Amino acid sequence: MKRSNEAFWWSLFSAGGVMAALFMPAFIVLTGLVLPFTTGGDADLDYERAHQVVTWWPVRIVLFVVVFLSLFHCAHRIRHILMDLGLRAVSTVVAALCYSGAAAGTIAALFVLGTL
Amino acid sequence: MANRMITLEVFRYSPEGDDEATFQDYLVPYHEHWVVLDALNWIKDHADGTLSFRWSCRMGVCGSCGMMVNGEPKLTCAVFLKDYYPSPIRVEPLINFPVERDLVISMDDFLAKLQAVKPWLIREEEEPPADEYLQTPSQLAQYQQFSMCINCMLCYAACPEIEGIPDFLGPAAIALAHRYNLDSRDQGQSQRQEVLGGEEAVWGCTFVGECTAVCPKNVDPAGAIQQAKVASTKDWYRHVLLPWGKR
Repeated sequence: MKRSNEAFWWSLFSAGGVMAALFMPAFIVLTGLVLPFTTGGDADLDYERAHQVVTWWPVRIVLFVVVFLSLFHCAHRIRHILMDLGLRAVSTVVAALCYSGAAAGTIAALFVLGTL
Repeated sequence: MANRMITLEVFRYSPEGDDEATFQDYLVPYHEHWVVLDALNWIKDHADGTLSFRWSCRMGVCGSCGMMVNGEPKLTCAVFLKDYYPSPIRVEPLINFPVERDLVISMDDFLAKLQAVKPWLIREEEEPPADEYLQTPSQLAQYQQFSMCINCMLCYAACPEIEGIPDFLGPAAIALAHRYNLDSRDQGQSQRQEVLGGEEAVWGCTFVGECTAVCPKNVDPAGAIQQAKVASTKDWYRHVLLPWGKR
């Protein structure tokens, strides 16, 4: 039997799941609670502090990895849901659409994080 | 007590004459300590000798008496009438399998899948050693849980992927392959990987987890499949990045 390339997509899915579970709650707490509640409601100060953090290169890299892997995690899950919903006959098209969507999001994240 | 009764709606199909399956109702004496299999045996002995079903040990060891009980895959020796009384109980053959007669399903496809993963100890040398292969308790613990499978096929009836991909290797066969791959005495992982790494094997699973939910022996086939996915992924990267290396 041919060795399936599904292993590659699953490794991105799996890594994305770990990244999302590990980092997303921390990001939500930091950007949604810690930053606004420690700046006394000053929106300009919120922006300044968030911008300082995000433009630090190690943070840019971490954010890029989290966004890239989470997008492929999402694409893989949507692809399998669509196949389970009856689109197995057009599985190649479904896979191409899902993963190219994740790839487009990854390029956009690279652009945004690189030009901040 | 003895005159209380319960209705069993039993799936009936005969390959000789019936074009379509029907349901036949049987009124069965209700006893608190009776399981569904006891009721089926009462029907066979007292009401209708033509009813066909598989059973053997009556104690959850042989794995023969798996059926759909009110739509859920169950060992009929392990579900009590009292859990359904006074409502009627609908008994059907396991879904996702061809029916041979009444509650008896064909196991041919399942047995072929089991055999495909070579569920036995594979050694590289020709002759076995004079002594036994020793194993530490921790080496045993690696695979013991996955060795408790009784091939009852409830996981195949519970798995939604089997319905969509009939060639999917399925939970029990993958769990059993993984059980031998984890065994310190075994050297056959690369042989099994040819089957396990294919589209219709570990990658057919989307981790719905129903196989583990219905397993009467707590084997956790879904967990075995996830571990087998990790092993298959390592094998894929090894193959792609080090194509000249040993498989």
